[in-house]
Amino acid sequence: MATVRDLRDRIKSLKNTQQITKAMKQVAAAKIRRAEIAQKQARPYADTLAEMLRDLMGAVSSVDHSFMKPGKAGAPPAILLVTADKGLAGAFNSNAIRAAEQVARERGNVAWYTVGNKARNAVRRLGKPDSPAWVLNAPSKLDTARDVARRISDDFVNGTISEVTVVSQKLVSMMSQRPEARKLIPIESAALREAPGDAERRAPSGSVEFAGSPEFVLSRLLPKYLEFTIYSALLETDAAFFAAQLLAMTNATDNAKKLIDELTIQMNNARQAAITKELLEIVAGAEALGVE
Amino acid sequence: MASTVPFKLISPTRVVFQGDAELVIAVTTEGEEGILPKHAPFLAALRPGVLRANVVADGASQRLELATGEGFMQALPDRITVLVDDALAFDDVDVARAREDLAAATERQKAEPIESAAFAREQAAIDFAGAKLRLTGH
Repeated sequence: MATVRDLRDRIKSLKNTQQITKAMKQVAAAKIRRAEIAQKQARPYADTLAEMLRDLMGAVSSVDHSFMKPGKAGAPPAILLVTADKGLAGAFNSNAIRAAEQVARERGNVAWYTVGNKARNAVRRLGKPDSPAWVLNAPSKLDTARDVARRISDDFVNGTISEVTVVSQKLVSMMSQRPEARKLIPIESAALREAPGDAERRAPSGSVEFAGSPEFVLSRLLPKYLEFTIYSALLETDAAFFAAQLLAMTNATDNAKKLIDELTIQMNNARQAAITKELLEIVAGAEALGVE
Repeated sequence: MASTVPFKLISPTRVVFQGDAELVIAVTTEGEEGILPKHAPFLAALRPGVLRANVVADGASQRLELATGEGFMQALPDRITVLVDDALAFDDVDVARAREDLAAATERQKAEPIESAAFAREQAAIDFAGAKLRLTGH
C-alpha cells in the first residue's frame, strides 16, 4: 500500500495540474468570445455578398466562368484541411483529420492544402511533405484566406487540380463540434441561388442595371466568394477550437478534482491505519512488559 | 436639405460606415459613378480607389473619403451597399508603406504577362496603393 507521503506528493502534483487546466479553461472562454465577435463582424459582408450573387445568378443567361466548370480531367482532386495549430482540445483536430482521410480514401490520389499546424503535420505523416501549408493563428486570418484562395484558384485554373473539397470543424453548439466536408470548386450554381440572406430584400430580377455586363461582375464576385468562404471556415475553426478546448479543460479540471478527492480519502485511511498500528504496538509492548 | 438614402460600407472584418448619405461616388470598373437617392437597381464591381460620400452625421452634412480596395457596389432605390476588401481613412494610411507597396507591385507586375490573373492582381495592388497616396494628398 502507498505510504502517506507518496499519496501527499501525488495530491500536490494533481493540484498543480488542476490549476493549469483551470487557467487554460478561463483563457479558452475569453478567446471564444473574441472568436465569436470576429464571426459576427463578418456576417454583414457574407449576407450582402450572398444577396448580390443571387441577383447576379438571376440576371446572367449562361454562366461561363472557369470556377463553375468541371476541372481538368485526369488532374487529382484536392482537399483543403483546416485544423487548429495546437492541441489540448480533446479529439478536435484528430476528428477533422480523420474526416479528411475518409474523403481522401473515397477520392483516391488527392492533392493536399492545409491550414493549421496539426493539419500540416498529419499530411506530412501521410507522405505528402511538400503540400502547401499555412498556419491558422496568423496576425490576419483574412490575409491567410486570400493567400489560400489565390493558390487554390491558380492551381485549379492551371489544371493542376480538378476540384477542391474543404474539410473543417463546424461549431454546432458550445458543447459539440462536427467535421464537415464541402465542395468549394467548382462552385455549384444551385448553392449560390440558395445562398442565405433576406429573401424579401432581393431586387426584382431582370430590372437590375450592371456596370459592364452581369457576366463581368460575376467573374469579379466569384473569386471574392471563394476567398470569403475560406475566411469564414478559418473563423469557424477558431471558434470551434476554443469551444472544444473549453470543454476538454473543464473535463480535465473535474477529473483532477475527482482524483484528488479519492486520493485524499486513501491518504486519510493510510494515515489512520498507521496511527492504529502504532497504538496497537504500544499496547502490545506495554502488555508484554506486564505494566498494570 | 437634400434627400438621403441609407448607406452601408462593409469590409470582411467590420462595418466601416452605416448611416445616411446624400451622394456616394465610387470608382467602378467602368469609371467613376455617383449615386444619388432613389437610384434604379444597379450593381457594379469596384476598382481600388478613393470612395467619396456626402453623409449626414448628427444632422450636419459631412464629407466621407476613404481609400478602398476591390469591391462591389449595390444601389437600390431605398439603400446603397458597398462591399470592399479594405477601407482606410486619412489617419489610417501609412504613407511610407503605401509608397513601398506601390514600388514593389509595379516591379512585380513587370514580370507578369499582360492579361494574366497575376497581372490583374498586381494592378489592383498598384491602384490601392495609389488610392492611399491620393487620399493623403501625395
